Amino acid sequence: MDAIGFDPLTGFLDRGGCLRAAVRLAEFCRRQGRPFAVLWADLDRFKQVNESFGHLGGDAVIAMVARRLGDALAGRAEVARMGGDEFTFLVPACDRRRAEEIADELLRTIAMPVEVGNIRMRPSGSIGVALLDSEEDSLALIERADRAMLEAKRLGGGRYVVSGDEQVPGRVGVLLAREELVIESQIHAALESGGLTLHYQPIINFSGSIESAEALMRCQVDGLSLAPNKIIPVAEKTGLIARLGEWSMLNAAQHARRLRDHGFATKVAVNVSRAQLTAPRFVEALYAALYCGDIEPDLLELELTESLFLDVSETVQANLKAAKQAGVSLAIDDFGTGYSCLANLKDIPASKLKLDRAFISVLPDDRRALAIVRAIAQLGRELGMTIVAEGVETERQFEILAELNVDAVQGFLRARPMDGEALVEWLRRWR
Amino acid sequence: MNTTTSVTTDKAPTPTVVESKLEQSLRDVGIPPRPLILERVGEEMRKEEPNFRYLGELISADVSLAAGLLKTANSSYFGFRSRARTVTQALVMLGLNISSRAIAGLVLRKVFLATPAMERFWDVSARVARVSGWLVGRLGVRDGVRPDDAYTFGLFRDCGIPILMKKFPQYVAILKEADADLDRVFTDVEQVRCPTNHAIVGSLMAQNWWLPEETSEAIRCHHDAVILASGPLVIAPASARMVALAQLAEFLVQRIDGQSTTREWDKLGCTCRQLLALDAEGAEALLPEAEPVVRDTID
Repeated sequence: MDAIGFDPLTGFLDRGGCLRAAVRLAEFCRRQGRPFAVLWADLDRFKQVNESFGHLGGDAVIAMVARRLGDALAGRAEVARMGGDEFTFLVPACDRRRAEEIADELLRTIAMPVEVGNIRMRPSGSIGVALLDSEEDSLALIERADRAMLEAKRLGGGRYVVSGDEQVPGRVGVLLAREELVIESQIHAALESGGLTLHYQPIINFSGSIESAEALMRCQVDGLSLAPNKIIPVAEKTGLIARLGEWSMLNAAQHARRLRDHGFATKVAVNVSRAQLTAPRFVEALYAALYCGDIEPDLLELELTESLFLDVSETVQANLKAAKQAGVSLAIDDFGTGYSCLANLKDIPASKLKLDRAFISVLPDDRRALAIVRAIAQLGRELGMTIVAEGVETERQFEILAELNVDAVQGFLRARPMDGEALVEWLRRWR
Repeated sequence: MNTTTSVTTDKAPTPTVVESKLEQSLRDVGIPPRPLILERVGEEMRKEEPNFRYLGELISADVSLAAGLLKTANSSYFGFRSRARTVTQALVMLGLNISSRAIAGLVLRKVFLATPAMERFWDVSARVARVSGWLVGRLGVRDGVRPDDAYTFGLFRDCGIPILMKKFPQYVAILKEADADLDRVFTDVEQVRCPTNHAIVGSLMAQNWWLPEETSEAIRCHHDAVILASGPLVIAPASARMVALAQLAEFLVQRIDGQSTTREWDKLGCTCRQLLALDAEGAEALLPEAEPVVRDTID
């Protein structure tokens, strides 16, 4: 006869036994002031195994996996079979770091090959991890582990998710991890409380005239600066990038106007991402920026970041053409790395090429980089484009670039990024 | 015009500088890039301990701003028992978020009144705004839209119009055509003859003046029945509600004034009533109560 509270197939605790053990262990850990973790594991696509090999075949797989799991955690956890292909592991005195190690170990154990008949298969599992909260009862704890497991499955299986890290809908309805959610709310806060500013870095022609000034976004919330590499991915995921982009276009246009009022007809260049160019109403927003800024379109330039070239769709092409028609000039940013390629020069009506700093920083020693820069400068001239070298930091680099007939330079050697007011002063001194 | 001096950011400008800069930007651009006073309020808001007294002094330098802010704090919308006697008190009572929005509205008023031929237009916006705020009191706060949110939206809803008017001499005619069109979306009519539309221009400007995102979103789609009816995945419920409140307010104002020059209620009324959970009779039934509000608010 089967023992009460135990699963006959695996010899583990059954559902009822699991609940009783959880109550006991939770109380024990609480009294001792120790953490308590519950892991809920489920085999991925197990239904398929049952369908292909029948329930007896399925049971054989479960028994095999269960034995391995039991061995893996022997003496460290109470193991239970919750039914079907679902197992829980109750691990006393286990903090988050340890629980994650165990989850990893369980995933590796589940993934060991299993033979059914003469077929060799490699199962995979999804695991949810939950750690006991101070006020929580043990049933709620197990339920959280279950939910986290479902989240791991939703993400494709073969992984674990710690309860509390599940992706939750952000403000714009996109699923985000907790950290991303914080960043999303920071972007919203910046958009609403004036945490965004543009800084400007001059681009200088070899003739000494100012080619343009590139606008670079700075984001500050609660006195902390948020790095662009943190905010841009979240902004792209949530579509907020279009907002940030529109904000930049408008503010760049308004700053161009301010510069003009100070007597400087300096073009301001603003970065435009792929998400912006594929968003609806890009062209309308561009015109709106020009009108609100009250400037001539030739004082604004759009710098196309290389992510754009991943796939130059019809929408992107049409929007770029419309921007050109509006009288705004286009520049290809970071040319020579990432997704940008020669075909882009054919398809995109840009009048400026910005050579990626990767080629410049290794000058003058790297002969290959030297040859590439020379060839691109030559190519640019043939195409009637202005060639700008990014990241110019030494006089030697500057001299070489002059010899190579590059048109303009941008970099710390001549000017660092500065705020709008400082740019006015800088232009005054430069003049 | 090129002699404008730059404003240093490290030192607090004297109030007279703020005032003259504001006036200057109104004259120059029509719509100021971002009023300096809003910039200063924003700067203080981002500090851990905002200096209310400093802001109070800045705002007090502009008599109309100071008076407007006091009036806002003492209005029945907020139902404070004590009355604000100084600008600093008003700032403390309202909090910097609401104050910032109220100041934005007051600056916008100056812009409109400083733009030739915009006085009447401002008058209509101001009335729609007030009735919108009143409607929140009447229909209840839902989706986080409070009276001052509805009021601010009402003021800014059409703030793109003066910008486009300045840019396109034929814009008045375009507006007339869009007003009269019963089939096409208002902004589509605009875009036949103009590469952008007042909703997008207005939403960019609102964003640039640090208004809440729901407000700029609402401005962006305030003529679009399809988006309004699309639900929370497409448009924030607060944005949809602000649009609906202002549209209903405009309907009430036009009915009471007896001068209906637009077809927007014909096009959007049904969607807006659904958003506000009102049937046609319910909307009509508001007329008697709204009448004194509309009449009282004629400045």
